Amino acid sequence: MGEDFQRNQLKELKETALPCFQCGVCSSSCPVFRVSPELNPRLSVDSIISRGKVPSEGNEWLCAYCLMCDQRCPMGVSLAEILMVIKNISAREGKAPPDVIESAESLMADGCQSPISSRSEKQREDMGLPKLPRANPADVQMLFRATGAAEVVELNRKAVEEASE
Amino acid sequence: MTTSHPKGSSAGPPEAEVVSSEPELRIGVFPCKCGKNIGAVVDIDAVAEYAKTLPGVVHVQVNTYTCADPGQREIQEAITQHGLNRIVVASCSPTMHEDTFRKTVKAAGLNPYLCIMTNIREHVSWVHQHDPKSATQKAMDLIAMSVAKAATLVAQPELDVPVTQAALIVGAGVAGMQAALDLADAGFKVHLVERQPTIGGIMAILDKVFPQNDCSICILGPKMVDVAKHPNISLITMAEVESISGYVGNFEVRVKQRPRYVDMDKCTSCGDCVEVCPVDVPSRTDQNLTWQKAIQIPFPQAVPSSYFIDPEACLGMDLIRCGKCIDRCEQEAIIPSDKAKYIDFDVGVIILATGFKPADPSKTPRLGWGRFPNVITTLEFERLINAAGPTEGKLVRPSDLIKPTSVAIAQCVGSRDIGTRSACSNYCCAESVKCALLIKEHYPDTEVTIYYQDLRMHGKYFEDQYLKAREEGVKFIRGRVGEIQQYPDTKNLRVSVEDTTHNKLSMETFDMVILSMGAEGAAGDFPLPISCTSDSFYIESHPKLKPVDTSSAGVFICGGAESPKDIRDSVIQASAAAGRAAIILQKGRYPIEALSAKIMQDLCSRCGTCVSRCPYGAISQDGTGKFTIMGALCQACGTCAGDCPQDAIYMPNFTSQQIEAQIETALAENPSDKIVAFACAFCSYRGSDLAGVSRMQYPTNARVIRAMCSGRYSVKFAQKAFELGAGAVLYSGCHLPADCHFQTGNVWMAKREPRIRGWMKRNNIEDERFRVEWVSAGEGKKWQTIMTEMANAVKTPRKNIPTPKTQTVAKSEKSAKSKTKTTSKDKQAGKPRSPSKGASQKKTTRKK
Ligand SMILES: Cc1cc2nc3c(=O)[nH]c(=O)nc-3n(C[C@H](O)[C@H](O)[C@H](O)COP(=O)(O)OP(=O)(O)OC[C@H]3O[C@@H](n4cnc5c(N)ncnc54)[C@H](O)[C@@H]3O)c2cc1C
Ligand code: SF4
Ligand code: SF4
Ligand code: SF4
Ligand code: SF4
Repeated sequence: MGEDFQRNQLKELKETALPCFQCGVCSSSCPVFRVSPELNPRLSVDSIISRGKVPSEGNEWLCAYCLMCDQRCPMGVSLAEILMVIKNISAREGKAPPDVIESAESLMADGCQSPISSRSEKQREDMGLPKLPRANPADVQMLFRATGAAEVVELNRKAVEEASE
Repeated sequence: MTTSHPKGSSAGPPEAEVVSSEPELRIGVFPCKCGKNIGAVVDIDAVAEYAKTLPGVVHVQVNTYTCADPGQREIQEAITQHGLNRIVVASCSPTMHEDTFRKTVKAAGLNPYLCIMTNIREHVSWVHQHDPKSATQKAMDLIAMSVAKAATLVAQPELDVPVTQAALIVGAGVAGMQAALDLADAGFKVHLVERQPTIGGIMAILDKVFPQNDCSICILGPKMVDVAKHPNISLITMAEVESISGYVGNFEVRVKQRPRYVDMDKCTSCGDCVEVCPVDVPSRTDQNLTWQKAIQIPFPQAVPSSYFIDPEACLGMDLIRCGKCIDRCEQEAIIPSDKAKYIDFDVGVIILATGFKPADPSKTPRLGWGRFPNVITTLEFERLINAAGPTEGKLVRPSDLIKPTSVAIAQCVGSRDIGTRSACSNYCCAESVKCALLIKEHYPDTEVTIYYQDLRMHGKYFEDQYLKAREEGVKFIRGRVGEIQQYPDTKNLRVSVEDTTHNKLSMETFDMVILSMGAEGAAGDFPLPISCTSDSFYIESHPKLKPVDTSSAGVFICGGAESPKDIRDSVIQASAAAGRAAIILQKGRYPIEALSAKIMQDLCSRCGTCVSRCPYGAISQDGTGKFTIMGALCQACGTCAGDCPQDAIYMPNFTSQQIEAQIETALAENPSDKIVAFACAFCSYRGSDLAGVSRMQYPTNARVIRAMCSGRYSVKFAQKAFELGAGAVLYSGCHLPADCHFQTGNVWMAKREPRIRGWMKRNNIEDERFRVEWVSAGEGKKWQTIMTEMANAVKTPRKNIPTPKTQTVAKSEKSAKSKTKTTSKDKQAGKPRSPSKGASQKKTTRKK
């Protein structure tokens, strides 16, 4: 992974962003922008094009991945993908927001994000449905390690701790 | 195609043979110094000495400026004195002076097609400034190649055809009307064909027209009447062109006219019929905002001023089913038995003025047109604000017929969007500002906001309009509308836009939204193969220098059919097209390019491959199964010849024999250092010239062979070059997909690449030794890069040289022989680095 990979990723990002002519259709279509003006997909793209950099404010983490911007962009810019890559790059730099890291950690620990409640277990039983399999944290951890996500979580955990010191 | 063509059929003996039987070849070579341009790099005197040794050359004369008057005179004198019958001028690019020198030799009584040029400036001295030795060597090689080609040149007849002094103009919008009036005033007969029941096009239904905002029909109406009354114009409405055959000067046209069911001469446009007609249909003129009858007139000023019946809406023109109008019309103008008819005529030129379509708002669903009644298009607005429109000029909301108090205008709808049309539509910014001004003029209290992405008020007087709109209080907000939502109860509209100047979301509510619709191309749906852009506008012959010509001689374009534009530009283009057309009509005769392909019937296997290759439909099969090429339609691209499996197509000046002679000569010595580079006359050759003009330096390995079009490069040329040991081969052409001057030559060339690569693989030739490249006339830099990269590729020697599979023993003997000849000649000449060529047997034998 290293710098080469990062540089390549940034290069690809620029190519994907290049057709954007800053019309604002994406932002005015974005449901998140309506309530949290910090997430402006147009400005995220602009930062890639005109500053050649991944924006450092971390606003892209607000994206709900609804793909509305992607769908409507008159230039066919894959915005949601761009935002995702921005998130990936900044996570590798240890800049993921703490709450994202926390939920990743809980996923690794429990094997799932929301455990099956006893109520739904009971309901299933009443309806004669089979039991749901238990999440196995070991499987999830294996995935995290194989994909390198574990390292990224680790890196960000350290960054969070350093920041709090 | 039914017309017999003026050059005679392509049957008869293959003319290539005539050449070889020609008794004596007397070639004159004229190396030029071009002042210091060539002379400072290339050793011209050495080149001249060398040229004297070439087979068939009887006269060599160096000149400082061959293109100047004295230089041209010297060529003419040499032709007379030395009885020269082939001329090679080694100087600048043929793009520059081929025409000049052809005229020179013609004045001396030689057929102009017997003169060719060798490019030792753009291809040699300007690009190899620091390597005079290799540059001189390359100049010698190029001249030897030209001499080899000159040896097989054949005189081509110079032809012209008579011209029918009449014009067909298709489409009677403002552009077609203008072109028709101009040509008719100049005294030519004009057949003006219009699809609709009236002429006038889009302009006839507009209210006011920018930039002065004068009344559209008031300025157009009188012009429409002029068209109707002009003795030289025959107006055919409700009609379309069914078929066209022939060629420039001699087109045969068949028009199909739909029945009108009303006698135009009898109808007085009293409108009595409308009162009794029981059928209501949505009004086309009024953009479906109101109703009209099955018997109708588009608008009061329509020309011809006559009603017509829409047969799909009519219940039946007889007393059983309806027939009320027949009963009512006192003029007895209604003709229930009216039928479609065909009208045939001949013309010399054609002008296409078929306009564009306003873009379809339903293709941009996020803006709600069709779902929300108060979202309308600019064209619907034109009708609403028009005194002759459905509301008599009162602007109201379609949902409740109440006057809106706030109106938003959303720009770039259907334009600048890869989902609809990616280009800008040119007129709609000005159209939006006009709409805003019209609203303010009628209802000053109305709030008007224009949401724009870029405001392109580029035309004459446009900026004044913009300033006026600002003065009137029109709000301009930068940002393209993201979506429009409707409040279900009030039918008001909420417009979401990011104000990109302030990076803020704006969600204002409006009573009405106008979508500023762009243009959608409508060209191409026509029985003549005129090439179109991917968004369906006709392509001009040259974007700057021949903007109203097409690549088909005698066919011109103007107005919205060429690209989206406003009225003024449409009229300018229409007059330009009429002027260009008049040049052909007035002369009465039209010279046609002598270089047209011919099929050598004795070789043709009647496979029919060529038919699909020809972009001009010039090849057809007659009843006996014989394929022939109609000379006047052929534009000499050579694509047919490039794919003819029998090599049965004779391409004058670019015959296979000539090209192969050039390849052989180019590779006579040190073939593995050489790049045989094919370049097409309109793009890549010009790109290579540009590299020269820009003095972009590159290695000297390339030996360029010019053809009219990349479609001419057969598979076998590359094979031949590799068999002779070429280090590399380049096939270069105009950019895919649409840049080809001959429409599709490059596409067919590209299809040959896999075949060449497969053959190379089987023969163990490294892939990188063959390249297909697209070089436009502006890409000198690219040419330089390709040349440099390929020069690197030929640094490593060839692994394997295939022995030609198809060639006979005699042929391989020939190449062996020529090798020995070369060495012996080297000795004779006694030069250390002999530039001597003498590769092919033909040459050496002639020399003896
Ligand atoms: C809403 C709107 C507002 C505009 N406002 C302005 C303005 O204010 N000022 C301005 O300068 N410009 C304006 N324009 C642009 C203007 O309309 C065009 O510049 C002009 O109409 C172009 O003229 P044309 O003759 O090329 O095409 P058209 O007006 O489109 O005429 C083409 C004609 O060809 C006919 N036709 C098409 N195909 C065939 C066929 N195959 N056979 C026979 N006939 C055929 C059509 O029926 C039509 O009559 C506006 C355009 C729109 C859409
Ligand atoms: S919609 Fe597309 S072109 Fe417009 S600002 Fe967003 S990314 Fe750029
Ligand atoms: S994908 Fe993200 S940025 Fe795009 S519209 Fe949805 S939430 Fe907004
Ligand atoms: S003219 Fe204006 S509104 Fe029309 S496409 Fe171009 S920029 Fe958009
Ligand atoms: S393909 Fe080209 S050379 Fe052949 S007949 Fe057609 S225009 Fe002429």
